[in-house]
Amino acid sequence: MKTIAIVSAKGGVGKSTVCANLCVALRQAGQAVLALDLDPQNALRLHLGADPADINGIARASLAGTPWRDACVLGSSGVHLLPFGLINESDRQALELSLATDPQWLPRNLASLDLADEALVLIDTPPGPSAYLRQVLSMADLVVAVTLADAASYATLPMLEGLILNYCAGRSSYAGHAYIINQVDGARRLAKDAAQVTRDALGERVIGVVHQDQAVGEALAHGRTAVEHDPHSQGRLDLLACAQWLMQQLPRSGGATT
Amino acid sequence: MKASSPRPQDGPAETRAERAARWGDALLALPVWAMGWVRLLVGAAAGVLLVLAITVNLDAQQQFLFGALCFLAALALHRVAGRLATLAIVMLSVTASLRYMYWRVTDTLGFVDPLDMAFGYGLLAAELYALCVMLLSYFQTCWPLQRKPLPMPADVAHWPTVDIFIPTYNEPLDVVRQSVLTALSLDWPADKFRVYVLDDGRRDDFRAFCEEAGAGYLTRSDNRHAKAGNINAALARTHGEYVAIFDCDHIPTRSFLQICMGWFLKDPKLAMLQTPHVFFSPDPFERNLETFRTVPNEGELFYGVVQDGNDLWNATFFCGSCAVMRRSALADVGGVATESVTEDALTALKMNRAGYNTAYLAVPQAAGLATENLSRHIGQRTRWARGMAQIIRLNNPLLGRGLKIGQRLCYLNAMLHFFFGLPRVVFLTTPLAYLLFGANVFQSSAIMVAAYALPHIVHSNMASSRIQGRFRHSFWNEIYEAVLAWYIMRPALVTLVRPQSAIFNVTAKGGIIPQDYFDWTLARPYIVLLGLNLLGLVVGVGLLLAGTDSIDTTLTIVLNLAWTFYNIVITSASVAVAGEARQLRSTPRVPLDLPATAGLADGRLVACRTSDFSQGGLGLVLPEGLSVPLGETLQVSVFRNDEEGVFPAVVTFSRGNRLGVSFRELTLEQEKDLAQVTFARADTWANVWGRHTPDSPLTALSHIGRIGLRGFTLLLRELRGRAAAGLRRPATAETEN
Repeated sequence: MKTIAIVSAKGGVGKSTVCANLCVALRQAGQAVLALDLDPQNALRLHLGADPADINGIARASLAGTPWRDACVLGSSGVHLLPFGLINESDRQALELSLATDPQWLPRNLASLDLADEALVLIDTPPGPSAYLRQVLSMADLVVAVTLADAASYATLPMLEGLILNYCAGRSSYAGHAYIINQVDGARRLAKDAAQVTRDALGERVIGVVHQDQAVGEALAHGRTAVEHDPHSQGRLDLLACAQWLMQQLPRSGGATT
Repeated sequence: MKASSPRPQDGPAETRAERAARWGDALLALPVWAMGWVRLLVGAAAGVLLVLAITVNLDAQQQFLFGALCFLAALALHRVAGRLATLAIVMLSVTASLRYMYWRVTDTLGFVDPLDMAFGYGLLAAELYALCVMLLSYFQTCWPLQRKPLPMPADVAHWPTVDIFIPTYNEPLDVVRQSVLTALSLDWPADKFRVYVLDDGRRDDFRAFCEEAGAGYLTRSDNRHAKAGNINAALARTHGEYVAIFDCDHIPTRSFLQICMGWFLKDPKLAMLQTPHVFFSPDPFERNLETFRTVPNEGELFYGVVQDGNDLWNATFFCGSCAVMRRSALADVGGVATESVTEDALTALKMNRAGYNTAYLAVPQAAGLATENLSRHIGQRTRWARGMAQIIRLNNPLLGRGLKIGQRLCYLNAMLHFFFGLPRVVFLTTPLAYLLFGANVFQSSAIMVAAYALPHIVHSNMASSRIQGRFRHSFWNEIYEAVLAWYIMRPALVTLVRPQSAIFNVTAKGGIIPQDYFDWTLARPYIVLLGLNLLGLVVGVGLLLAGTDSIDTTLTIVLNLAWTFYNIVITSASVAVAGEARQLRSTPRVPLDLPATAGLADGRLVACRTSDFSQGGLGLVLPEGLSVPLGETLQVSVFRNDEEGVFPAVVTFSRGNRLGVSFRELTLEQEKDLAQVTFARADTWANVWGRHTPDSPLTALSHIGRIGLRGFTLLLRELRGRAAAGLRRPATAETEN
């Protein structure tokens, strides 16, 4: 099992969208993929075509002490998903409190799934520092940070770099981190310049630039990812290129499915 | 074989031709050739043999046998690659032609009849001219230098400063702005180059544009000495160590300076480096004969072979654009020359005389617009011919100090070349002397003429095809020259007598031809020549049918008929060139396949590819099944590595998944971006350079035959139209000399 964390310094950068699209793209490429939503917003299920009425998820399972495996659903996208689930505010506080004192929460639960060696787990995280992010960064094999081509996102880059360095650097299983610049509008000079500044700052670690493309948002309205929704969209091509990069980073690309 | 390049064991076995080519290269690489006495000895021996081969008397049968053996040898050599085989093919041609000329001068001139004498000596003079130019051409082009670009030093601090001059006089701003914007985006340290527009038209919109774009704008109070004077005036007001010059319709690629400047740093005596002129629009031949990008055009021979050959002899000449010059060297020869209307060639000649080197780099680093109609094309070539005639009179390369013999001969050929007009007309009419007037221009039997002339003709065609095949297809030379011959003949000769009579005229570009028309005025000489040859054909066939008194007479008629038939093919093809095909786009399209996106009005981005570009728009190929209606607005993105240019556009053509879009109101920034992803790409022109279908003489001949038929059809249709509508001259047709 390889874990890929999808992180961002601030909200609204399209992290869940990128995560869902990468899941579908990798799945379509024949990878065994599990999507894990650790964001209390519980939005990943909407992208991957799971039942919107279902309130179950790993949050309830963790609080109730039931196996995560039972919370697993198969969305219409064909990707297996562990949703966060819907819980009330006090339950969430309780969960986050227990996470703070139980650093093995995520590794233990993932291990209990007993996934195949070549399986990929893509983990969506809440924006910015959080108990969830700490758990994820402490075990992720690969970290993919999503950012926007604007000044505010650029300003948060050092914070994110610091977090990643703090939790990941020196860990033997850690393979590195990469950036995806999302929602770039080439027609705006400012966006182009910001994308260029970000590229200059991050260099080789920028693995993809995803265009601002209505088709990506439109797909969500249909409960799908852009990768499935519109075969000709540029946004889709950009996301596929990112998935391609991820596959090249993996030591082996098995054809088995979950 | 060298140890550094081992041949892969699993590769295909070496053929006999490949082995011969390898041996040839090894032989040429032998160190003994560097020794003066070896050259002298071998040269003397070869000279004696050559004289023997030229002068030995053979009867018709022996001469035929000799010719056949030489032909077989040339055929065999043609399959072998490498310089040695090329030289051997050339020497076979030199031998056959000199042998022919020796026989011709010693054995065929016993004229008695004054008519025979007039036609006979006329033809001999034309033949001597043609032979001279042929031998000089072999000398000039048999060993192209094939110089490669030198890389610039890694430390940018050592890169020199360059001024980029874009002289203009009356060209529209639309044509000039693309060149300026692209020049401004050259890959060169920003503090080390400056772009100047030299506006002899002194136009306010040019000044405003230059200010906005960040280019310098220079004018002067008069227009003395036209372009040369314009550049000289700008030289006095600028200070860069080097000067790069672009005609205002030549758009440089971003790599131009980095490709060109390396040699200047290596060779302190290098004064000028020229790169090819390539055109992204069809010239009148290409447009009217529909040969654009399939048959090498008239200019390609010069930049593909002639300049590269000149480079070997250190005799590359400046062609007015797409070149870099060292300011100090230019100052040394008094700036750009003003005594000739081809100021560029004369400037290079002066530099060579002053002991400077000139160089040629066959890497297209700019592209421009070709002349857009035949009359302007002829006008331009006439100017070149006059300029060259002026140089012969005012600065004869055979005379005066400072030149090596190789340089003298290269310059001489460049100038002699432009006197092809009269000899060409002579060749197109010679068989008529016999068929119509009964004049015997050869005082010899027909069988002897065939035995000597055939090897001369066949070998010269084989050698030309070998040297020029990538850049000029067989027999096309005849068409290019035949079309110009009548018009270039008189001005070239008149200027030779009175060198100051020529005035400089600008070659207008960037226009449109609103509808097809036939340029009667221009076509008249070819129609007359065609008519005369047709008459000759009829008379000749009549003579044959009437029966002759001897085999020799029959053979004479047949030879003259064959020649006449060939002349009919060439003249009818020339008539076809005068059928001006309409050209609606003032901004020609260039094929280009690149990833792009079409941003639709609803915010979706569709990934697609470009099919072509022009200054005003793009062709797009959408994914199968998609289409966008006419009039829709799009945001089109084109990519170059990580850079993306986004341009607002309107759909002006839509058929299936193919779109044509026109750009709307681009900002200056966007125009620059557009140039970067299209015209300024370093590989756009270099990729197609010299990549035509290889020459095949028989294919070329049949192609020209078809064009000739087309000329006939066109002429008949026009004659019928004229008969119906009376005399009609299009308003756009003009002759300018």
